[in-house]
Amino acid sequence: MNFQDAQKRLSKPALIGLLLMINLLILTTILPASLWGWISDRLPVFTTIFLGIFIEAVPFLMLGTLASGVVEEFVSQESLKRLIPSGALTAPLTGALMGLFFPVCECGVVPLTRRLFSKGLPIPAGIAFLLAAPVLNPIVILSTAAAFGWGQVLFWRLGLSFSIALITGLVFSAEKDPANILRSGVQRSPIDLSSQAFSLDLHLHDHADHPEAHSNLSLIARLSRVLVTGANEFFEMGRYLVIGAALAAAMQTLVPQSALLSIGGGPVISVLIMLLLAVVLSICSTVDAFIALGFASSFSLGSILAFLVFGPMVDIKSILMYGRVFRPRAVLYLVLLPFLMSLLAGIAINYYLP
Amino acid sequence: MSSRTYRFLQVFILIALSLFLGIKILSSQLGLYIHQRFQPLTVIAIIGLFLMGVALLVDILRKTNAGSSDHAHDHQHSNRLPIEIAILSVPLLLGWMIPARPLGASAIDSKGVSATAPLAEQGAQAQTFEIAADERNILDWIRLFNSDQDSSLYLGQTAQVIGFVYHDPRLPDGQFLVSRFTLVCCAADAFAIGIPVAWPQAADLPPDTWVKVSGPVEETQINEQRLPLIRAESVEGVDPPANFYLYP
Repeated sequence: MNFQDAQKRLSKPALIGLLLMINLLILTTILPASLWGWISDRLPVFTTIFLGIFIEAVPFLMLGTLASGVVEEFVSQESLKRLIPSGALTAPLTGALMGLFFPVCECGVVPLTRRLFSKGLPIPAGIAFLLAAPVLNPIVILSTAAAFGWGQVLFWRLGLSFSIALITGLVFSAEKDPANILRSGVQRSPIDLSSQAFSLDLHLHDHADHPEAHSNLSLIARLSRVLVTGANEFFEMGRYLVIGAALAAAMQTLVPQSALLSIGGGPVISVLIMLLLAVVLSICSTVDAFIALGFASSFSLGSILAFLVFGPMVDIKSILMYGRVFRPRAVLYLVLLPFLMSLLAGIAINYYLP
Repeated sequence: MSSRTYRFLQVFILIALSLFLGIKILSSQLGLYIHQRFQPLTVIAIIGLFLMGVALLVDILRKTNAGSSDHAHDHQHSNRLPIEIAILSVPLLLGWMIPARPLGASAIDSKGVSATAPLAEQGAQAQTFEIAADERNILDWIRLFNSDQDSSLYLGQTAQVIGFVYHDPRLPDGQFLVSRFTLVCCAADAFAIGIPVAWPQAADLPPDTWVKVSGPVEETQINEQRLPLIRAESVEGVDPPANFYLYP
């Protein structure tokens, strides 16, 4: 790094800081006192909601990044290839059911999926895993059963999540070239050794090359590598959790929830409202059944199911995290396909189930 | 930012987050943000983040001792931007700088209030009747009113509830709303519920004051919605309860 570079790097944050200070000064003089009162009134509310989402999600994100660290250190590309079939139908099928063995929620599933991609997991399997695992896992099945009992809500939630994940996985299998789906550097092709050069921006290559080479290390050493890999990933994904929680908290501070709920209960509108609510609330899939229970009496069954199926697949923070793994067009598909299918399923249930 | 500075900052943030969560538990403020039943998960996060921080620190120190021969790690982090660190310090900064406050009247202004909160609408289970009238909280009363039980069973009973004062613009003069937030999982799903209280000096009560209201329960209507109303015989200021929220 030469001197000019160093100067550039130092001056940029300083410049931004200075600009912010000047803006703040101007704002304090221009804005009417009432607006300041409003802000000082709402800021604690924002903070409480923001920290609520953040504190609730941090353990799950941490466990997800640790799971990713474990995969990195203990699972080799070869064994993954042996375990996961690559057939057009069998790959997404396996992916959708893999959640039963990896109990992760929608924060933890993203880093884990990305790590599995870097180990050569087929795209359709990864997509189905990404969408299904936050619901089709033991913890969420138990929490849903605790809230709604072992009845039709649980049955439909699992069935719909599985089907939507499977279909979306199948749609993605139409695209044969992973480079069109994943951001560069996520998938390291086993043949292309030169890919090191372009995986630099994602830093996924660090220990990945041959886990077997490290098997002579002591268990403590390997575990500490799991922690280091997990820590790096915690920082990469954690910022999207922070931004997502901040956006969700800001929306809740600005748009009254009761306004959303009062719009009402038609068989179509109610589904749309609950889909919107799922995105805005951004609650972890391990607990969203309890939230949905609260709406169960005032909202249609179809809309409750849409909330329970779509919420774990897409919300503000997961969209941001998807952007770190997938190309923008793939993110669009990942949001739109589950949205449309959940909408259709919700409406259909409202019309055909009493 | 050099790779080493960056990694030291990572260690700092991880340990700080771990301490931050630990202090929230020790000062019993965690209940402001999440439901108590998730506290064990927070403890797991405290341990995990701390271990990550320590492992990272050991890693940095070992690399320093070994010299800078580890090329793979040098280029790995040298182009990382401080923005990542800045974003992850936001929860810490907000947590330290903004005084921790339970959701109150100003949160109702932004989240809205309902006397028929969805959670309250599940109706009264039999056990709500088993609770003595003066032991029922705001949620219990609203559940009773939303149930299809014979209203003569509870109208006229003396209620004694604790909540904070909210001046709902829909209420006539001489009334205020005694309110609580219900919480299922975290502050994001908190929902305000409240019972109108008839009290001649209602306007003198500052919003967010915690009060204990007692008086007979009557029935009233707002926008054709059946609601309980407490004709207060006494309204006295009390300390905020240990559990800020009601857990349905």
